[in-house]
Amino acid sequence: MKHVFFLDGQEIPFIPGQNVLEAAIAAGKDQQIPYFCFHPALGSLGACRQCAVKMYSHDSKHPPRITMACLLPASDGLQLVTLEDDVHTEHREIIELLMTNHPLDCPVCDEGGQCHLQDMTVQTGHSVRHYSGPKRTYRNQDLGPLVYQEMNRCITCYRCVRFYQDAAQGEDFGVFGSRNRVSFGRLEDGPLESPFSGNLVEVCPTGVFTDKVFRHDYVRVWDLQQGPSVCPHCAVGCNTTPGARLGTLRRIRNRIRPEINGHFLCDRGRYAFPYATANSRPLQPRLQGEPSRQDAVLRQLASRLEEGRSGFLGSPREDLHSNLGLFALADCLHAPFAAVTSSWAEALAQQCLALPQAPSLQEVAAADRIVVIGDLDSIAPMAGFAVRQALRQGARLTVLASSRTELAQKGDYRPLRPSALRDQVARLADDPCLQGGRFPVLLATAETLGPSGLYALRKTLEKLPANARAGAFVNRPNLFGAAYFAADGHTERLQQALRQRKINHLLCLGADPLGEDWGAGTWRTLAPGLDGLTLLDMVDSETARSAEALIPVAAFPERAGLFVNYEGRIQAFSPVYRREAQVLHSAVHGSGFPEAAGGLKHPLGPPPPLFWLGRLAEMLHLHEAWQKRLDFYLHFLCPEQPDPEGPGVLLPDTIRARFEIAALPATRAVTPEQWELDIFRWYGGETLADTADELHSLAPARGLRVHPDVQAVAATLHGPCGDLQLPVIACAEMVQGVIAIDQEGFAELGLYPGDPVEVSWEQSR
Amino acid sequence: MSVWRNISELGAGLWTTLRQLGRTSTVSYPEEPLNLPPRWRGRPVLTRDPDGDERCVACQLCSAVCPTRCIELQAGERPDTRRYPLTFRINFSRCIYCGLCEEACPTLAIQLLDEFAFSKEHHADFIYEKEALLIDGTGKHPHYNFYRHSGVALQDKDKGEGINEKTPVNVRSNLP
Repeated sequence: MKHVFFLDGQEIPFIPGQNVLEAAIAAGKDQQIPYFCFHPALGSLGACRQCAVKMYSHDSKHPPRITMACLLPASDGLQLVTLEDDVHTEHREIIELLMTNHPLDCPVCDEGGQCHLQDMTVQTGHSVRHYSGPKRTYRNQDLGPLVYQEMNRCITCYRCVRFYQDAAQGEDFGVFGSRNRVSFGRLEDGPLESPFSGNLVEVCPTGVFTDKVFRHDYVRVWDLQQGPSVCPHCAVGCNTTPGARLGTLRRIRNRIRPEINGHFLCDRGRYAFPYATANSRPLQPRLQGEPSRQDAVLRQLASRLEEGRSGFLGSPREDLHSNLGLFALADCLHAPFAAVTSSWAEALAQQCLALPQAPSLQEVAAADRIVVIGDLDSIAPMAGFAVRQALRQGARLTVLASSRTELAQKGDYRPLRPSALRDQVARLADDPCLQGGRFPVLLATAETLGPSGLYALRKTLEKLPANARAGAFVNRPNLFGAAYFAADGHTERLQQALRQRKINHLLCLGADPLGEDWGAGTWRTLAPGLDGLTLLDMVDSETARSAEALIPVAAFPERAGLFVNYEGRIQAFSPVYRREAQVLHSAVHGSGFPEAAGGLKHPLGPPPPLFWLGRLAEMLHLHEAWQKRLDFYLHFLCPEQPDPEGPGVLLPDTIRARFEIAALPATRAVTPEQWELDIFRWYGGETLADTADELHSLAPARGLRVHPDVQAVAATLHGPCGDLQLPVIACAEMVQGVIAIDQEGFAELGLYPGDPVEVSWEQSR
Repeated sequence: MSVWRNISELGAGLWTTLRQLGRTSTVSYPEEPLNLPPRWRGRPVLTRDPDGDERCVACQLCSAVCPTRCIELQAGERPDTRRYPLTFRINFSRCIYCGLCEEACPTLAIQLLDEFAFSKEHHADFIYEKEALLIDGTGKHPHYNFYRHSGVALQDKDKGEGINEKTPVNVRSNLP
């Protein structure tokens, strides 16, 4: 049965349980009901008194009365009116009340043009302020490099606190003051600690919280080029809307995708975009470190490939198309190809793909028993956000980790060394923490758990009820896409070929084998055997600096492609803008007209990897064979091309089943006396995000994180590929006997999370 | 009767013509300056506020409203968060002097003053950059200063020092 109520005589359909405002917004009738404090994800509060409607009773006993639409449950046949004078007066007068102290800031306010308050004021027809007295002012707080506060503009709708405290469960932001002196902020100046603080910008209906990064290179929203894109900073694949102008990327906003990110985005997703505008980003081809021309670099590369002694290295950081293009080229040349940089990462990718269908974040938020393994917030913050939503609904959370993370403080925390973690995961099926649950969900950070841990997770899942689900997360957007090519022993074969001098040249795509990628220690020892290394990438990395030839590629919002997220959801993104030189002064560019004059543009944007690979195939007279293979693989992996505006396409189980791996990956045994390594990450850390200055300024110091019991100022770790000397950072949250280091440290040592390590402590200087 | 009326009307017309004998309304421009009406819409300029600082806050309303899209600008930010146009460019080979930018400008920065006849040899020379547009004066509005009315704090103006503003509230007070 279809449920409807009537708003100004028009039928509005609703789902039982919805309130009138929610249904009206869903039906696109929000033009009739202005509102402030209601937010689709934060619910109703009834605080702003703006969404008034007049309700007529079914019988004539009760006179019609004005009530708040956001607090009125929708019911069948309800007769509501907004077009009568008294309702309109109410709307106009409430707006005037809210605007009493609102400053005359619109020209210098970043919210202007996308301001809910502006829209509602115009909509209700309020234009003249009757109160002529002085306006209230506030002193602003410095909330760090990401969010800018201008407290004068506040209309006290409480959306920010409801988001920050209730939805994101952050603790360092709140409401202060009394009566009409209410203020929203931190107790003291300082950066907001929550990994979701950037959402304040979108949640705030006026300009109290604005984007501080966007502020430095500001442009009005009507001048932005926008389009659908997918976040390239972790495996969740949140949907985003990048905004660009004059050939540079200016900001990232959330794009609502109920299955994944809903209305929100984490700070890494929102503030890591300056990698596309960073000064260090390579924009011109480089040959032996010197700027060069496109055709010269391509000729050099083609002559290298013609020798027939090249290896190919893809990357989980690059999209599916580019990896496929590289794979097809390697296939045409019968050259060795690997999608990841180490056998360990290869096993990890395979084990991730072998897991049965992972729950979407929408499903995670509906779970009632959740086990989180590792520091989920720092790998995939939005997955941590979904766990918080489940907690709000009363879910029981158990966290298995080697440090007391923020999420661990919200649930039942079990401190475990990484080696113990694997055993514990194997025993989870009988654990009381999952008993009695209607919908149990296990979420793991893949790197902490390792291939053998993921294997144990899969076996545990088989013992759990059929509706139990598990997901594994990494901070790479396309590990699951790369996992298709990560067949057994590919990386080992590539390294073996290099050791045996069968190849002397490596063509890398978006990888950093000499820098911070997994197994970089091994690659560094193999590097002397390389005559040349060619890299296609969009960031400046260790590998980029030592590469013989560097070929710049388009950033993700500048091109089309496919990412496969942790669920195996294939999502498409489309080009939003073309990278161009910003014409700051017409005299600087002698060639004449800037864009406004309809004149020449200055294309600077490097083409996507597929363009380079296609040109290479052409030069090698392989184009037809290459294109055929590319189309074949693409059709095999992704028979249905997803729509960038749509929810993506889930991988069919038949493809997953091909990657079912029976063997238990080997692990190194650890004795309790030995020190164990775990990975330390923070929510804003990722290869691309590390080049974003504002976000990176919040990064914690580099060091060895250990329990405070260790009386040392520094230590040297000894690994098979090298030593690592770093200061010791005492961290009360750490488990004893565990040292947490960053991925770069692992790369230098040649070790992996969960491995034992030899340590020499330095007691004093 | 109609003959007499026609003759008298001819005479009236002739008299109007004869009355103008000896008078000149032609101005020998450009030798003589023109007396333009105060609302004349000539070339747009960027003006300064009474304190001598530039009025434009780079809100981009002029470029949004411009029907020929001849205005292009990029906002910049000073250390004290005051907004200003980093670049401001008008292409006068497109401008139609409609005055919509002046109407839209909330800070009275862009004003159409009296320059109307200027010619160039190349189209590219019609692109005026900010230094060619910014004048050293307040234009038609000698007293208005937007930042004295807005609520933002600047280097020389703290919160509560603007026009019609209370001193900043003490959020830690619990007095009624």
